[in-house]
Order: sequence, then structure tokens, then C-alpha cells
Amino acid sequence: MAAAAMTGRGVALIRNIAGSLHSRLQILGGASQQLSCLHTSVSLDSKHWEKSNRKVYPPQLPEEPRRPAEVYHSRRQIKYSKDKMWYLAKMIRGMSIDEAIAQLEFNDKKGAKIMKEVLLEAQEMAVKNHNVEYKSNLYVAESFSGKGKYLKRIRYHGRGMFGIMDRVYCHYFVKLVEGVPPKPEQSTSFDQAKEYVQGLRNRTIIHSL
Amino acid sequence: MATSMTRTFGALRNVTYSSLKNAEFPRDVRHPGPLFLPVRTKKRYFIPPAVGLKGKKEENPEIKGRAAGIVFRQQYLERPINIACSAGVFDPYIPPEGDARVSALSKEGLKQRTEQIRQSAASQLAIRKIKEHDSQFSTKTFAEQAQEIFIEAHNALIHFNRERLHSLVTERCYPEMTRGNRYKTIRWKFMESLEAPRVVHARCPDMVTKGNLYGQVTVRMHSKQTLAIYDRFGRLMLGSEEQPKDVLEYLVIERHLINPYSRWRLHGKIVPSWAPPKDPVIMTVAIPGPELKPWEEFDALNYEVPKPAAVQWNK
Repeated sequence: MAAAAMTGRGVALIRNIAGSLHSRLQILGGASQQLSCLHTSVSLDSKHWEKSNRKVYPPQLPEEPRRPAEVYHSRRQIKYSKDKMWYLAKMIRGMSIDEAIAQLEFNDKKGAKIMKEVLLEAQEMAVKNHNVEYKSNLYVAESFSGKGKYLKRIRYHGRGMFGIMDRVYCHYFVKLVEGVPPKPEQSTSFDQAKEYVQGLRNRTIIHSL
Repeated sequence: MATSMTRTFGALRNVTYSSLKNAEFPRDVRHPGPLFLPVRTKKRYFIPPAVGLKGKKEENPEIKGRAAGIVFRQQYLERPINIACSAGVFDPYIPPEGDARVSALSKEGLKQRTEQIRQSAASQLAIRKIKEHDSQFSTKTFAEQAQEIFIEAHNALIHFNRERLHSLVTERCYPEMTRGNRYKTIRWKFMESLEAPRVVHARCPDMVTKGNLYGQVTVRMHSKQTLAIYDRFGRLMLGSEEQPKDVLEYLVIERHLINPYSRWRLHGKIVPSWAPPKDPVIMTVAIPGPELKPWEEFDALNYEVPKPAAVQWNK
């Protein structure tokens, strides 16, 4: 991922690649025009995650259960690999915010320090702007990393060959929800066996006598 | 100083060698090195010229230029700033203590009721000035008008109609009314007016230039209102929709008198020092504790939460 080493022969190869990509893009563009005229996909510069914080719900009736507060936060263009960031994001999924911050503080990776800052920022935002009562009463509902905009550089190989090196950047997204973190369902081996047997019994033979 | 010493050494060295150069010199003779060999002779620092001249304050280069004969082009005000409201409440009305707390039938209540605006001369002068610019102004009808402006402004705030709100409320009052409300839902209802609104105070300050008059009139209102504020997720933050409250308010209404197209708009509210404390927010809030030195301990039992000073302020 870091160094996409495409050994090629200079300018000619770049031209070929550019040509093939161009033709592919044209085909795709043509196809999408036939299907739909609306922009249904996300463009490069869109910031949907931050806009989710602007959603306003109508006032609740007194008998309805209290809606838990949700806070969306992200950091863009972090100088780190998205795959390496994914490991940390997967680790803190479902943890309460105090636990997540504690785990990230004592993790040796570079992304852990940045993620901890993002979580603390999100916690402060939740208390200040989004009417969250207790700052510890939050848990990490969603956490994932995405690819940022890469810078391309030349990596020099021997014999006049070169490769295009990517300077990787990533985005990190997190969603905090108010309340106690939900416990993942843990089924015993006996339950799993029962479900397996039930699945076998549910099979039917179609088009039979 | 050290550098200058090395410089002299260098200079001396150059002088001695140059004097000896003219004489014929055998090439294979090696002279011993000089005793004081300076290590660094090249000037490696840079002092910007402005450092030494700190004390000198240069005269205005503009005056110098004009004296020299340079003609400057006329400055055009491409974007003139138009100030339509004043910055605050000038000479605010100090409401008497016990206003609306005493029954109207007792002696003090009667005194308060019969207290007319005629007593204060400054207010009378101000009203006269206002009548010069606005011939239809009268204290009796103005109070009702003020109440209507108040109700319409709050209705515009609920539905968040920006243009309507700007026409009913001055630029100074607008951010105070709308700050923090963007992602909240407000439900407000004006039930009824308990007492007829009254004009209690008037002032006519002029800003910046003389003659730039703004008229500020204070109106006293006693009414029943309900207020409920819901946060972004629809949860109740403050107040309740069913329970009405008796509210005594002192509104300040302002108008830019010189401008013939100006309107009377809500400028602010006066909160007296004896006003009862507001209802608490439906949330647990952490009160910041005292600043402790490293060796001190926090004594939770004997600690008193500091209360804010009872001062009149303008909303």
C-alpha cells in the first residue's frame, strides 16, 4: 500500500495507463448517465460525517423513552496508513469512552495518540454543544478509518526504473452515543449446536412428490 | 568586542606580510605560525538595523510626504458602514424594589401605581425629542405597540424567520436572542397580560456625531408565559409547556430617529438586581471548585458555593 511499485518503462507506460483509465472512465460515465442523472455517490470533498451533527429531531412526547444523544466527530488527513489505523479503530469499537481512552493512552502506535485526541475532542463537544449530561456516560458506537488524499512521489529503482510512491493519509471517524455500552450477545456452544441442528431441520425439498 | 580584537589581529597579520612581500624571500624557509591564532574571523551574525533604533519613533511619513510635495489620492469609502442601532442601553432604568410584589390595594401599591413618568424630567425631555422626529408617538399607545412587537418577535424566533426577526429586533439584540438556538426547538406561548403595559423610562442618546439620535424607551410588562426548550434530540432542557409563569419584564425599545424609514424595534431587556433566580436547567452541571495550591486539600463539608452578586444587568 505504501509504495505502489509499478515498474514500467518511463513515459510510454504512463501514456498507456492513462489511456486505459480514460477509456474506462468514459465507459463508466456513459453507463451512469444512462442509469441516473442524480449524484447518488459521495464525491471526494464531501464532509457528510460532520453534517450529521446538524440533524435536529422533533421534541419528544413525555411518555416516549429518552432518545440517547449521538455525537459525530472526525479528523481528516492524518499522516498514517488507513490499514494500520483500522486495527486501532476495530479495537475500540463498542468500548465505553473511558476504557477506550485508557487503552489508547498506553498503546504504542502512532495512530493511538491521534485517536485519543479525537475522542477527547468529541467528548468535550458532546458536553458543551450537544447537551450530554455526564461525560463518562458515552460509548463508541462506530469507529472506522478511511483513505485520505495521497501525495504521489517518485521512488527510484535501479536501471532507470521508477515506481510511484504514495505518501499515505487517512481520515478517522467516530460516533459517540450516550448511555451504557451494549453487551455483545454471547451464545454458548450448546445454543450454537441447537441452532445448527434447527437449520438442518428447516431444509425443504422443492419440486418433489 | 571579541570580534573586533580578532579583526585587528587579522589586519596586523596582513600588514606585516604585505610589508615583507616586497623583499626577496627564500621559498623553503618556513615561518612559525602566529602566537594568537584567531579561530573565527568571518562575521557570522546579523543585527538588523532597526534593533538599535528602538527609542526613536519616526514621524508620520505621511506628513513628510505631503511636505515634500507628494499629492495623495482621495480616499473613497467604497463600502460605507451603516449603524442602525446603538451598542447598549444608555442610562438604564432602575426598577424600584418590590415592584409587582406588593398588592395593588395597599398604600405602597397605590404609590407605585400612581408613580407616573412625569416625575423624571430627563424622560420628559427625551419624549419631547422623540415627538419632534415622530409626530405620532404617544406614551399611551406606545406601550401596547411595544407588547405587540415583543410577541411578534418571539413568534418569529420560534419559527426562526430571520428576515422578520431582523425587522422586529435590533442588531444588538439579535445575537443575544439567537445564540445557541440554532439546533434547538423552542416552544413559547404568550398566555395573557396581567397588567397593562406602561412606559416607564425614555432616553435619547446621540452616538458618534451630534444629532445622530437614537430613541430608547423602556416599557414595563407583567404577563403570563409558557416556555419550553428542547435540545437537538427532542429532550426537554428547560421549562415546561403546561406550567405558565408570571413574568415581569422591562423591555427596551429603540428607534433610529433621524432615519425616516426606521422602526421601533426590541433592543434589550433590563434584569433588576432583586429579580428572583431563574429555574434550573434539567441537567446535572459540575460547579468548578476553588483553585487549590499543591499542598492544600479540598474540604467538601465546609465549602460554600459562591453565589453571583445581585447586580442589575441588561439582557
